[in-house]
Amino acid sequence: MLAKIRDLRNNPHLLFVRLPNLLSLTCIVVGVVWLLLLPLNEYSRQTYISENALLPGQVHAYFSGSEQNVFRGYKKELEGLLNEGRDQGVPPAEAGQTPAVSSKIQSILQAAGLKVATQKYEYTSAGITHEGENVYAIIHAPRGDATEAIVLVAAWKTANNELNLNGVTLALTLARYFKRWSLWSKDIIFVITPDSKSGTQAWIDAYHDMHPASVQPLPLKSGALQGALVIEYPFDHRFQSLHVVYDGVNGQLPNLDLFNTAVAIANNQMGIGSNLQEMWEHDDSYQARLQTILRGMAKQGLGYATGAHSSFMPYHIDAITLQPKGEGWEDEMALGRTIESICRSLNNLLEHLHQSFFFYLLMQSNRFVSIGTYLPSAMLLAGNFTIMAIALWMRTGYYTGTSSTAPAIAGDKKEKPSSKKVTSGKPVADVKLKESGVAERQLALPLTLVVGLHLLGLIPLWLFNTLPHQYLPTSAYAFVIVDIVLPLVLAALLSHGLGLSAPIIPQQYHLIKSFSLLLLGLSLSTLATLNFSLSFMVGLLCAPLSFIERLQSPSKPVRSTISGIGFLCLNLLSPPSALLGVCWYTGVSVETVLTQAAFGWDVWGVWTQVVVWCVWWPAWLIGCVLLGASMF
Amino acid sequence: MALLFRSLQTLCFLLLISLVAAEHTSNWAVLVSTSRFWFNYRHLANVLSLYRTVKRLGIPDSQIILMLPDDMACNPRNAFPGTVYSNADRAVDLYGDNIEVDYRGYEVTVENFIRLLTDRLDADVPRSKRLGSDAGSNVLVYMTGHGGDQFLKFQDSEEIGAWDLADAFGQMWEKKRYHELLFMIDTCQANTMYTHFYSPNIVATGSSELDQSSYSHHADNDVGVAVIDRWTYYVLEFLETQVTSANSKLNLGDLFDSYDESKIHSQPGVRWDLFPGGEPEGRLRTVVDFFGNVQNVEVENSNSTEPGSLKEDLAEIARLVEKWRQRDEEYSAILSSHNNTEASSLHLTAKKTVGSTKMTDDNSWGKRLVGLSVVGACTAVWVAGSILGRKV
Repeated sequence: MLAKIRDLRNNPHLLFVRLPNLLSLTCIVVGVVWLLLLPLNEYSRQTYISENALLPGQVHAYFSGSEQNVFRGYKKELEGLLNEGRDQGVPPAEAGQTPAVSSKIQSILQAAGLKVATQKYEYTSAGITHEGENVYAIIHAPRGDATEAIVLVAAWKTANNELNLNGVTLALTLARYFKRWSLWSKDIIFVITPDSKSGTQAWIDAYHDMHPASVQPLPLKSGALQGALVIEYPFDHRFQSLHVVYDGVNGQLPNLDLFNTAVAIANNQMGIGSNLQEMWEHDDSYQARLQTILRGMAKQGLGYATGAHSSFMPYHIDAITLQPKGEGWEDEMALGRTIESICRSLNNLLEHLHQSFFFYLLMQSNRFVSIGTYLPSAMLLAGNFTIMAIALWMRTGYYTGTSSTAPAIAGDKKEKPSSKKVTSGKPVADVKLKESGVAERQLALPLTLVVGLHLLGLIPLWLFNTLPHQYLPTSAYAFVIVDIVLPLVLAALLSHGLGLSAPIIPQQYHLIKSFSLLLLGLSLSTLATLNFSLSFMVGLLCAPLSFIERLQSPSKPVRSTISGIGFLCLNLLSPPSALLGVCWYTGVSVETVLTQAAFGWDVWGVWTQVVVWCVWWPAWLIGCVLLGASMF
Repeated sequence: MALLFRSLQTLCFLLLISLVAAEHTSNWAVLVSTSRFWFNYRHLANVLSLYRTVKRLGIPDSQIILMLPDDMACNPRNAFPGTVYSNADRAVDLYGDNIEVDYRGYEVTVENFIRLLTDRLDADVPRSKRLGSDAGSNVLVYMTGHGGDQFLKFQDSEEIGAWDLADAFGQMWEKKRYHELLFMIDTCQANTMYTHFYSPNIVATGSSELDQSSYSHHADNDVGVAVIDRWTYYVLEFLETQVTSANSKLNLGDLFDSYDESKIHSQPGVRWDLFPGGEPEGRLRTVVDFFGNVQNVEVENSNSTEPGSLKEDLAEIARLVEKWRQRDEEYSAILSSHNNTEASSLHLTAKKTVGSTKMTDDNSWGKRLVGLSVVGACTAVWVAGSILGRKV
């Protein structure tokens, strides 16, 4: 037994080649299985309200009756103006942005006794200009100290580009209604913005004096924002359930207490059902739960804004969007009462929401997993790269393995008998010693190449975020070609010594891979703590890179065929091909996605592109170069 | 016959003792809420409800120490500004227009509370912030807040432990700051708070046992928070409906028997063992002994025989006076019989020996001789040494 263990210890092939491969594979498999286990009852938890101060649903909501008449009146006034605009040829989506509508809203808010102000903004991204004018008004807490505020937002255009007439009207009615209560401990700010994508971003940036020059500063401000609710009601019929949207920019999430409060009030106090992640038919089965988690992860991973609330998240303001969905018997008053009750709960807060989780995956409106439970999944995926990198580093220092000087017979078959002989025969051991002696590492070329390729990622990052939108699809297709040509050129150059006198030795290929994987593992494990889903997705797409290296063993034609096929497969996993694939699968045009991404980069400050072009793409490129090098 | 007489005598004595012990001369109430923040509205409502009850039963504001860590009436979240209610029917505004808060806001601390009980306060602290109780005072201490196993949280920043409280009461007893004390506490795991009490004459009762929560009774949907705790609610229900006047004969036994676990949703506890006579005696104390104001004015309790009472002190002084008188007599007797008698002259002989003494002559001369011979010998040695040294 002991001898066997000693054998294993003395077997460098096992230590440096087989074992790391096994470990990496295990990490990947366990990481994925871990995620699949999360929807089970044993690993997920029931949601609960952590913050004692919230007291959701403990107050009567009185928003109804005569307020409904006010609502109808406002709606009629706004409808008239919208129709006028339509007659003048304003496209329906832009209907809410005419000066007539804006001044009407201002006068309504002023008449209700609120302080009103406006803010013009303009953003240009991918050659498209987004402009508009926010109207907002503040209810000063009659007995409060004006150090804190709650925000209610209604955008004329919802996240799905529908005209949000009922939502805006409801916000105006609520403004009039809230003004008459004297129990607010925080100011309440009503923001009526033309558009869900850029309007709130301009407003919140200006609120914190972080706005670009193209955005006007705010003439009127209040205290620290404690929470924000976005109201959407883009249809005229009665609704069935409330869809709570909570994903923020860059995968940031609002405090779970806010989500729980909204769900608790909707379900328990108002008797309205609640949905999340567009799961309209959620039967609480394993599949439904997993699907909800995966949808949440996809949104989190892509990191784009899912509604007007998303812009609040970078400023650590918890925000959600409430979207009525389905055909039912709940009317705008029910939505108004829900909002009133949520506002009363937020009003009870004594300090910023902090008790509950900020990192969670929801699988049902009342079930979640917290970061402690799901994090190992992405960490294992990221860890697999680090393990491989460390093993390669050790291997290049101690063990030449199937070096070019050794006979080019299949390494695996050769290595096992030879290592067994080490313990029995002395002459072989001497040979072995020579083979596995300490080797000097040639670091200059691998380091330069890895760092250079990572810097090269800045070019596509810059290109895709600055090109006008009409050129974006073309450049995506061009990049697919670049991704095929570039690795081959690099591989050919490397194989022919880059014109340098010293030939590239296999050790350097291992070092290239080691550095690349080290960086990848490092970046992904760091990213996992910030944006679990993105780290997991990139980790999964990069998983093959752990096992790709320059083939040497078979004869050249076989080698070329194998590596050629591998090269093609790997190209299917390249960032641009993955993008095209996803677009083809979901049926969204490439231009839309890329324009949106550029908009995200320019306006929302989305960081996904950086991860794609400076972490994923260089690692992928190096994998391709290694595979390409086996062809030459 | 003798035996019967003896037992009758004992019975009479016991009765006398109990009657005597039941008498107290003043009533004090210390009502403490220990939690602030809007969502703890009910704790302030608990205390204010009790404040109202003890005032109704006659304890004046000057003898009530009210500790309120927060001001719910003026909280901006209060839908009914300036009021505090302990019932959703909002029939009685507890804040009303005559309420005297003695410790408020951040003055409600563990230190201030213990200083208040033990009277370790600076000289400049006003009378309204002092517990002026004495050995004849019955003191009611009511506490409510968030607690746990043997602690009660004060204002989210500190807590008082069961031992701290026990020691504070112990010190009160030593400093004669109470005659009898009723301790009531409504918090989670409340009964653990009185487990360490050791000073006598205390009856303690709490709302819930170890590992049990105390629950709120109901919420007011317009105020938006729970307005009163269950145990306090039912104690108050008893006090308000049964103890209708200061003349009520209902006793503590009735009060504690009114506890209904199915209503309170936790197991209230009572501790009798510190009370002389235990439960049977304690049960006989009327509720108004602690919640009301009794005007039994007595200049001095002549029958009391316990240590520290005036009678005891007088007897002690009398004994001392007797002792000194005896000594004096003895001394004067000795002085007067000095010339006549010799047997009793111990003191006098001692007096005779007093005076300067002289060394005897022969003794001194002997010493002088010894000294001279030593000096001579030394001189001889020195002379011999110098002569011998010169020779060498």
